[in-house]
Amino acid sequence: MASETIGGEGARGGLGAAELRTLVDVEEGTMAARIYSDPQIYELEMERIFGRAWLFLAHESQIPNYGDFVVAYMGEDPVMVIRQRDGSVLALLNQCRHHGNLLCRADAGNARSFRCSYHGWCYDAAGRLVQVPHEKDGYLEELEKEKWGLVRVPRVERYKGLLFGSWDVNAPSLTDYLGDATYYLDAFFDRTEAGTEVVALQRWTVHANWKWQAEQHASDMYHASNSHVSAMMASFMPEDATTPPPYERFLDFAPDGYQYASPLGHGAGFFVGGGTPGGAGGGGGGMMQPEVTREYVQRTSPDKARTRLGEFRADQVGLMHMTVFPNLSFVRPVNYMRLWHPRGPNETEVWNFVVVDRDAPQDVKDGWVRGATRTFSSAGILEQDDVDNMAMCQRGVRGFMSRKTRLNVQMGRGHRKPHPELPGVVSNVFSEEAARRFYGRWQEMLLEGQA
Amino acid sequence: MSEGAPARSAVRAVAPELQQEIEGFLYAEAELLDERRFEEWLKLLADDIHYFMPVRTNRLPKDQHLETRPVQEGGHFDDDKATLRIRVRKLGIEQSWSEYPASRTRHMVTNVRVRQTERDGEYEVRSYFHFYRSRHERQVDHLIGGREDLLRRTNNAYGFEIARRTIHLDQALILTAGITNFL
Repeated sequence: MASETIGGEGARGGLGAAELRTLVDVEEGTMAARIYSDPQIYELEMERIFGRAWLFLAHESQIPNYGDFVVAYMGEDPVMVIRQRDGSVLALLNQCRHHGNLLCRADAGNARSFRCSYHGWCYDAAGRLVQVPHEKDGYLEELEKEKWGLVRVPRVERYKGLLFGSWDVNAPSLTDYLGDATYYLDAFFDRTEAGTEVVALQRWTVHANWKWQAEQHASDMYHASNSHVSAMMASFMPEDATTPPPYERFLDFAPDGYQYASPLGHGAGFFVGGGTPGGAGGGGGGMMQPEVTREYVQRTSPDKARTRLGEFRADQVGLMHMTVFPNLSFVRPVNYMRLWHPRGPNETEVWNFVVVDRDAPQDVKDGWVRGATRTFSSAGILEQDDVDNMAMCQRGVRGFMSRKTRLNVQMGRGHRKPHPELPGVVSNVFSEEAARRFYGRWQEMLLEGQA
Repeated sequence: MSEGAPARSAVRAVAPELQQEIEGFLYAEAELLDERRFEEWLKLLADDIHYFMPVRTNRLPKDQHLETRPVQEGGHFDDDKATLRIRVRKLGIEQSWSEYPASRTRHMVTNVRVRQTERDGEYEVRSYFHFYRSRHERQVDHLIGGREDLLRRTNNAYGFEIARRTIHLDQALILTAGITNFL
């Protein structure tokens, strides 16, 4: 077990490189429990991860017209994402440059200008300061308005309908950042020529650190059979059955499965095969989903996707979880897309979008939303148990001794299960390889910012 | 209409006996939920029930009518009788972790307003609720909102069945650790 110094926390006025190196041991598959609860580590994450990484901002379909905007968050920083007259998209810090007031208080809408509620500074949709009360008799026309426009997110790029932003002017291109994760992302976002659209957004809180579920979606098919046993029993077991089959059997609806891991911190896991086109593990993903949507997922969608994705991805790959580092996650065919917004070390705000094929029939789209709501909203029969477990995990890393322990992501360490079709580091669906890569990348980014 | 006269048509006033009967029904329902008699609670629900809790949002003043989102945009609940039965079944399973240990709950129901619909024995009932949940050691949740129910007079032990329930929870961002109870 790697040694750990706790006593010096704060006293030395910051974490040094040597200490940061002890937080995660990728080879051993362990991490310090304090990475989830230490306020100092949290502040470093804000600066070195959320201050630099490509972060998901919005889906193109949310802001189709000039002046359409949605608010978003980059870490704890509120931003506005606004469609411009020329069709481009700007992301602006949602902060009046005068006294810092939150400029836009709506979640979404259409506006050609934003007026601050405090002194009335007014900005146009491109963030330029265009009007200042008492400009003549107060500022005596000496305010250099052109210097006091809203702060722009310097990099905004898109991938198949998904808009990302980064504060780092030197960040690699978004496609370089995503790397071979695009192969797996395309299984969500490139199934039809029409692409996808966002049709729902539900928001809730998890009383736990943001990394728990970001890691879970990268790497954790493992938890499902135990965490979600009651949801699966309630959904799948015959009415008269009283004794559940062994937990391990609950995920037997597919003969095979793989996990993808990337040194860039991304990860995904999925079942393969199972005899139903597009349906391997679809039973699990399609719980409480209306029949019309299940039918679309299992038949129509693979037919459409085959020429774009090839037979393997269209027909064989079923239930899939995924995280794009650091805080964007997906599960299909439930078709939710999640942001884990950090709110201090002990709290996370979840933004849950439901994404559908844009050209799917309306009843299929409605069914998709309904299925996702029933299973994976804050009241969803699967999500409610995750939300609860996360809060209990957070309670487990608060005490003096419980912060000092090492936690374990050793499953499948050193084992690979390559597949001719699949890019990246590929192993068994039940593995924590992607968790190790997730925390490895996390540590790397903290160290990259170290003077 | 003369100045100062009460807008009688705006007040949902029905015969006191009916008002009392419907309030009694809502209290009995709350008791079933708080005593975790979920199987019995299911029997109060019509076979065609739509149980829906829409998403609330923050909007510009000109868009205030868009604050509550339509069913096409999901919600926090969007259930029919079959999926509510799955939820009840789940609550009966020991490994339903978010109710392990079970919550201590109170459903407070107030501000009950009743209106007779055009159909015999069918009523639109609006009420406010304050739901309290205490669990484990320190977990305390308060959920407050309004409900719009459609009740039908029925031959069950409680006199009515719930044919529709729309729950307007007054939060745009759910602040509790999940929602694991019925509202």
